[in-house]
Amino acid sequence: MVTGIAGMGFAAVTTLAEASGPDIPSIDDFLPEPALFAGTPFAINRIILVRIIATVLLIAILGVSAHRAKLIPSRWQGAVEWLIEFVQNSIVYEVMGELRGKRYVPMITTIFLSILVFNLCGIIPGFNIAATATITMPLAFALWCFVQYWIAGIREKGLGRFLKDELFPKGIPWPIYILLSPIQLIELLLIRPFSLTIRLFANMISGHLLVALCFAATQWFFIETTTKAQFPLGILTFAGGAFMTVFEMAVAGLQAFIFAILTTAYINMSLPETE
Amino acid sequence: METLAASGTDLFLPKSYDIVWSLVILVILALFFYKYFLPKFQHIFDERAEKIQGGIDKADQAQKEALEAKKKYEDKLGNARVEASKIRDDARAEASHIVADARSKAETEAAQVTANAQKSIESQQQQALVSLKGEVGVLATALAGKILGSKLDDGAVQSDMIDSMISDIDSDTSAK
Repeated sequence: MVTGIAGMGFAAVTTLAEASGPDIPSIDDFLPEPALFAGTPFAINRIILVRIIATVLLIAILGVSAHRAKLIPSRWQGAVEWLIEFVQNSIVYEVMGELRGKRYVPMITTIFLSILVFNLCGIIPGFNIAATATITMPLAFALWCFVQYWIAGIREKGLGRFLKDELFPKGIPWPIYILLSPIQLIELLLIRPFSLTIRLFANMISGHLLVALCFAATQWFFIETTTKAQFPLGILTFAGGAFMTVFEMAVAGLQAFIFAILTTAYINMSLPETE
Repeated sequence: METLAASGTDLFLPKSYDIVWSLVILVILALFFYKYFLPKFQHIFDERAEKIQGGIDKADQAQKEALEAKKKYEDKLGNARVEASKIRDDARAEASHIVADARSKAETEAAQVTANAQKSIESQQQQALVSLKGEVGVLATALAGKILGSKLDDGAVQSDMIDSMISDIDSDTSAK
């Protein structure tokens, strides 16, 4: 697997050497060729490898933390507990209340922590690409959310009442329904899951492109071009890259938070108005 | 390379192996969080809350017990105070009683002593009177004998005279 990454790295270097300008990142970065098991349903490309490693690391670190968890927390355990309580209190209970939220805490915790770690892979040296940077990973999370808010609506209200509440909201004159109901249906079936997916996916793509562009330009100005006059531009692009890296950290957290809180909100919308 | 021909829409067309790996990863992560990570921490949270609650309860219990003990102590102190003052009052009463008793006893004894003295004086006086009477009789007889001499040798006259004399003295004494 490691040789796979290294091989791809060498390929990048060779293309760099041949290029006459900076190695401008492109959408090809998000469509890497499979390096292992190519041609099978279990083919692994660079992004999937990052995803697998990130998953293994996440499970290993949190698993060990959970295994060693004590009544009196260490600093690290305190930090992990803070994360759990943040998801539980600031996301789930804040939107749903404790009574309804309890059931969804594991789901939202899974979504938030996984997306957070996957997003952060985009700025971890060696990974350099978010594990959520293919359409299917955000889509998988979004479809989970989709299934959950349909189940919640059908379980709590029954399919008929759930659809009636969603498609024909109360307090609106009936002619409006001609316009509103199809929109509501499209929202329920398509817009919600795809907006979740595309918001996250596009953020990861643009983040990677910006960071990679800044550092590719820095590499060009510092090393590959022979004109020393362009050196100050390199400092500028390096500063830009550093800034974008920090910015991506914030985006990683923010997108994970948005995904989690919207999932919670969508599920909450399916539940009856009153307890 | 094929990827050189990639267009933007390719980004949104999921590859079959990407779907497989996304779902596998998602299921693994969900299982990990649902079955191990969160229950473990929930257990820790519950246990901690229980322990804290237990500690608070224990502290409450201790405080309650302390208050009870204090109340008991104060009650006892109050009782002791009341008892002490009662004992003091009793003692004071007894003391005054004893003093009164002693006084009355002393008075009685004094009266007794006085009465005895009176009696003894009276009896001594009586004795003195009796012995004086005898001696006066003898003396008077002797004196009268010397005065009368032989004229009064006759026993009958003698006794008559003595009797009249004694009765005189008696009447004198009783007249007094």
